[in-house]
Order: sequence, then structure tokens, then C-alpha cells
Amino acid sequence: MKNKTFLLLKWLISALLVVHIVLPLLALVSHISVEDIQTVFLSEQFLPMLWNTFLSAFITTVVSVGIALLLAWCVNRTKLRGKGVLTVLFTLPMLIPSISHGMGLTLLFGDNGFFTNLTGINIHLYGLTGIVIGATLYSFPMAFLMLTNIFQYEDYTVYEVADVLGFSKMDQFLKITLPNLKKPLISAIFAVFTMVFTDYGVPLVVGGKMTTLPVYMYREVIGLLDYSKGGIIGVILLVPAVIAFFVDLLNKENGAAGTVIKSYEIRENKSRDAFAKIVCGVTLVLISLPIITFAILSLVKQYPVDLSFTLDNMKESAALGIGGYLLNSLFISLTAALIGTGIAYYAAFVTARSEKRISSMALHLISLMSLSIPGIVLGLSYVLLFKSTFVYGTLIILVSVNIVHFFSSPYLMAYNSLLKFDHNLENVALSLGIGKVRMLLDVYLPSTQETLLEMYSYIFVNSMVTISAVSFLANFRNMPLALLIPQFDSQSLIEPIAFISIIILLVNILMKTIVYVLKREFCAR
Amino acid sequence: MEKLKVTDLTKKYEGKAVLNKISFSVNEGEFLSVLGPSGCGKTTLLRILIGLEKQTSGQILLDGKNIEDLPPSKRGMGIIFQNYALFPNMSVLENVEYALRLRRETKAGSRETAVRTLAQIGMAEHLNKKPAQLSGGQQQRVAIARTLALNPSIVLLDEPISALDVENKEIMKRELKEIQKKFNSTMIYITHDQEEAFYLSDRVIVMSEGQIEQVDAPKEIYSHPKNEYIKKFVVAHLDQKLDSLMKSTGRK
Repeated sequence: MKNKTFLLLKWLISALLVVHIVLPLLALVSHISVEDIQTVFLSEQFLPMLWNTFLSAFITTVVSVGIALLLAWCVNRTKLRGKGVLTVLFTLPMLIPSISHGMGLTLLFGDNGFFTNLTGINIHLYGLTGIVIGATLYSFPMAFLMLTNIFQYEDYTVYEVADVLGFSKMDQFLKITLPNLKKPLISAIFAVFTMVFTDYGVPLVVGGKMTTLPVYMYREVIGLLDYSKGGIIGVILLVPAVIAFFVDLLNKENGAAGTVIKSYEIRENKSRDAFAKIVCGVTLVLISLPIITFAILSLVKQYPVDLSFTLDNMKESAALGIGGYLLNSLFISLTAALIGTGIAYYAAFVTARSEKRISSMALHLISLMSLSIPGIVLGLSYVLLFKSTFVYGTLIILVSVNIVHFFSSPYLMAYNSLLKFDHNLENVALSLGIGKVRMLLDVYLPSTQETLLEMYSYIFVNSMVTISAVSFLANFRNMPLALLIPQFDSQSLIEPIAFISIIILLVNILMKTIVYVLKREFCAR
Repeated sequence: MEKLKVTDLTKKYEGKAVLNKISFSVNEGEFLSVLGPSGCGKTTLLRILIGLEKQTSGQILLDGKNIEDLPPSKRGMGIIFQNYALFPNMSVLENVEYALRLRRETKAGSRETAVRTLAQIGMAEHLNKKPAQLSGGQQQRVAIARTLALNPSIVLLDEPISALDVENKEIMKRELKEIQKKFNSTMIYITHDQEEAFYLSDRVIVMSEGQIEQVDAPKEIYSHPKNEYIKKFVVAHLDQKLDSLMKSTGRK
């Protein structure tokens, strides 16, 4: 029977996912000792840390989603020029590690920062201020992408009807726009909150005396090798993620459900456009400042004292072995993206294109589950499960942890585009005697090249910038480039950090460009 | 000549009968419609005939042979769905050719068959277009060509024109009849539309709630409805339609 291959692959992939997603979490929970739970919960720092984490995540979510909403509105509902370019530029911050944003802020607004020295204004960065600004910088692009999509797929006829009926602009916003945005807005809010709640990169650099739970966990595990305490914090960090997971499940069918009969018509409004211009301009300055600073820092003698051009920093960085770590990163990212895309696509093929059996529903849930496991928790779970196996300390484990960490989004991309095909294709295939694997190769893969490229680039870019899931698993041999940043930060090696950030940014821009060109050249319908 | 014979076909889901002892036969070259409201079991009947589902009990004989244990692809039947279900990445020609190639026909042979079938169905000038570039009616023609090219012993059609707009429906209806004559194929046509069934068919099976109410030629059903259900669901409906048609032409 032809479908043996199909079933074999289905069970193989299900087994792989169980081993790499479910088992690590069980390992994490089983490593927690009861005494440590008491020690952690009763310690004096615990409640303030929990409060710090919650507060910074909460404020950041409000600011970040607010900015994202405003920018999505600017790009979709005003007559600004160069909207395509703007959309790309707004997502640039996603292409560098979160910790680099913290570093950039230190360089500009820290006690000895460029801006602070220049103007004499000290914004007292270290603490809540720094965490909120830094976390906003790396989290708003994701929220922006989630919201801008919805604006694009709004049907204008509804607004025309509202106009005819005499609804005011405010009423239209409250009664049409907001309900349309409700679901993606909820998704964005939970996504940003979870992301910030579990990130240690930014608060590690600019948190100052304000210690958050992820930073505490990072120090416990990296510094003191206390897996049990780390595990307890890990479980706490899982809480908002698990809530977000269920909210998202209930909040299904993101995106405007109806068809767009007429796309939104933007009327003339000079003051609105001027306002949008200012908003976008300020945003661009804010996101480009750290990047420019990194570039300058990499290329001048001694910032900010001697600004003459030099290649010494690069040479120095090369001497620190950056080249080798870049190769590690490239290997990890290219491989994780390749294997991850393959597995995610096949899993989506099983769940989207075959009968709804319990096994495929379980596969669907497991595939979505990885989205709700914070990287730092996943990393620790991996340490506990694989510590005594041969993969530990190799590049393989870093590849697999990245695949799992970034599995859900590409899985959903594939799932959504595979769902769009006529549900009778399988029946036609059955009547023509086309096996499932044949259908996959001859029909689905050739029809979804764009999705495949998007999936590949998503895993690649995220594997290049991540410092969370890999942090506990890396050693000096298999370490990816981004992980050098927290290490150099503790040694106050600023120039190499700037240089590394720039390299990662350039590699990711290169990948995005390649994907863009491939899509344009080969994916024409 | 009797092509297909169905005897006491029953399908139960969790103890509930969706099809209850259905018996009928189809002759070679006949156009047979299965007419009934949604939920009457007509689609289940079609899925069992092609082999996408298994009956609970009863027998299906194709050319005198029991086909119960054959997979869909070995039954020699073709199926056409409402939403065409074309392969979106392949051109019109490739869609038809692909099915032929899988039957281990030679490259040249399947190309020739595909081109000929498409020409017979009026799609000769669209060979290299992708499905997305075609209208609904054209896409359905490609789906029909894909099925007919394989020379199936019976073609099953599941509401094939209900996704089209009124005007194209009329055109497609006429063409379907021509195509059936041209290819001299045996067709079983599933529909909920009384006019479609009556216009197209040699005989009509009227179904309700998993049972057959009447099997007859359209004229016979109209002039001699067997029971109240037929009177209400078929005769009264057609009378009403006819009435409004007369009125609208009368006004002009």
C-alpha cells in the first residue's frame, strides 16, 4: 500500500515531537524538590521579583501593543508614501537579539551614554524604564505584524454603509474596527506579555537593581547550577504562556473571516497624514539609533572619545574567535530551518489534509504547544532530559532545541495555507489512485513554495537571534554567536557586542533578501 | 444493459440509518439523477458508490461484479465535485494529463488523450492556463475532462453546478447533457434542484430521509406522483416555478 510511507512518517514525527516537547517538560517538573519550593516561595526576594516581572511585562505590553496598533493604523489607513519600506523597517528590531536592544540603550542613555553625556539629561535608564523601553523595542514588531494584517483585510463596504446610516467616525471605530481587531489584539497582547515576562536578555543588561524572575533563573542555573530552583521559576514562567495558549485556542480563527468585497478607501486628510508622518519618523529614529550606534561603535577607535575610523575592533573581535561562533550560528540556523520546515510542514500536512482522527488532533495540539514554552524553560528542560546522552554539548542539541522553540509559528503557516485547498482534493486523489505522499510531492509542495520560504526564514532568523533556549545548553565549542553577548557584557567588552549585533543583523537581512528575491523570481503564480 | 445494480444498500451511523435498504439500477449510457433535500442521504450514497465510505449492509454490482472490497481507484468510476477540486499548481492540460500518467500510460499517449478530451469539451484554447485564471464553469469543464479522459464506466457528479451563478448554471446544464451524449457515458447526478434533475435525466430517484420515494422518468413522476411527499417536494415546486415563468413572460 502506498500510504504506508505516509503513516510511517506520521508516527515518526509524532514520536519525535513527544520526545522533544512533552518529555523535557516532564523532566523539568520531576526535578523540582519540595524543599526548594518552600525556599523559593518563602524567600524575601521572591514576591518583589514576581511583582517586578509582572509590572514590567504589563507596562511593556500596554506600550508595545499601543505603538503597534498606532503604526499599523499609520501604514494602512493614511496616505503615507513608502508603506512597503516602512513595514520592512518596522520589523528590523526582530532581526537582532533582544539583549542587543538593552545594550544599545545602555550606550545611548546609560549613566555614561552618548545621549546622556551630550545633553546632560539622565533618564535613569537602569530599572523599570530600561526594561520597558528595551522590551518594547524588540516586542512591538511582532504585534505590528499581527495587527497590520487585519487592517489589510477589512471590507470597506461596511464603512460605506455606516457612512450612509450616519455613524460618526468614533462610532465606526468602536463598532466596526475594534470588533474586527478584537481577536488579533487579544492574541498580540498575550504574545507580547508572555515574550516579555520570560525574557532575560533586556533586564539582564538594563534591569539594574530590578531583578526579574527570568534573570534570577538565568543566574541560578548559569552561575550556581541550581536546576531545582531554576525549575521552579521555570514552572512559574510557564503560567502566563499556558494561559495564553488556551486563550489563543478559544480565540481561534484569527484574521477577518469575511471576504473583502472592496478594500479600504483612504480619504484626503492632511493633518492625519502629518500626524502619521511624525509617528513613523519618531519610531524609525528610535529603532535605528541602537543600530547606528552599533555600526559606529564597530568602526571607530574609541567611542565616544575618539571617533576616527578603524578596523581594529573587527580584528580584535576576530581574535576573540567570533568567526567560529558565527559558523556555529550559521550551521545551527540553516540546519534548524531546513529540518524544522520539513517536520512542521509534514505535521501540518497530516493535521490539515487528513481525516480528523484523535491522533492527528493530538499532533495538532503538540505542535501548537511549543509556542507556549518560554525558551529559557525549554532550555533548562533539555538540560535535565538530555544531560547524560551523547547529544549533550553538541551542535545537534542546539539545532533540535531551536526547532522545537520555533516550531509552532511555521507549523501554523503551513497549516493555514494547506487548509485553503479544496477539501475534496483527497477524494479526487482517492478516486484517481494517487497516494498521499504523491499528492504532497506533486500538488501541495509545488503550490506552497512561498509558505515554505517564509517558514524557513522564520526559523533561521529566530535561531540567529535567540539567546534563551540555547543559553543553558551551549558550551565554548558549540556556542552560537548571539550567546557571546551576555558573556561579553559581563566582561564589559562593548565593541565586540556591537560588532556581533551588526553581523547578526546583516546575516538576517541577507536571508530576508534572498527569500524576497526567490519569492519574486520563482513563486509567480 | 444493466451497468450498476444496487440492492438493499444500508448505511448506519451510530445505530441511525442514513440510508435504509436502497435498491435501484442504472443502465449503460443512462443519465440518472438522485434528487432530495440536504440530509436525505444522497451524498452518502455517492460516497459509498465510489468507495470513500463502506456500506453497513447491501450489495453493489458493477457489470455484474461485486465491488465492495475494491478501493475507489479500482472501481473504474469517476467523480466530479461541486468545487471542482483541480490541482491548483498544474495547468489545464497538466491536470488532465497527470491522472492519465498515473495510470501508467505513455507520455505521448496521455498527452494526446488529454488534448483530445479537452478539445471535445471546448477547452482547447485554455490548455496552458492555471485553474485560478479560469471561470467557475471553465474549471468544472476541466474537472469533467480529467474524469472523462480516464474513460470511467460510470461518472458520479455531486452537485457539480450549484457553485455557479444563475446564467452559467443554465449554460453548464445544457453542456452537461451534450457531453454525456458525446461521450456516451453513464452518469449518476446528485442534486437538490428539481429543475436540474428533471431537465437532465432519463430517470430520477427521489429520496427523503434515507429512503427512495420514487424512481421513474421525469414525465412519469410529474404526471403520476406516487405519494404526498413527491407531490409536495417535486410537483408543487415545479408547478410554482412554471407559474412564475408564465407570469413573467406574460407581462412582457
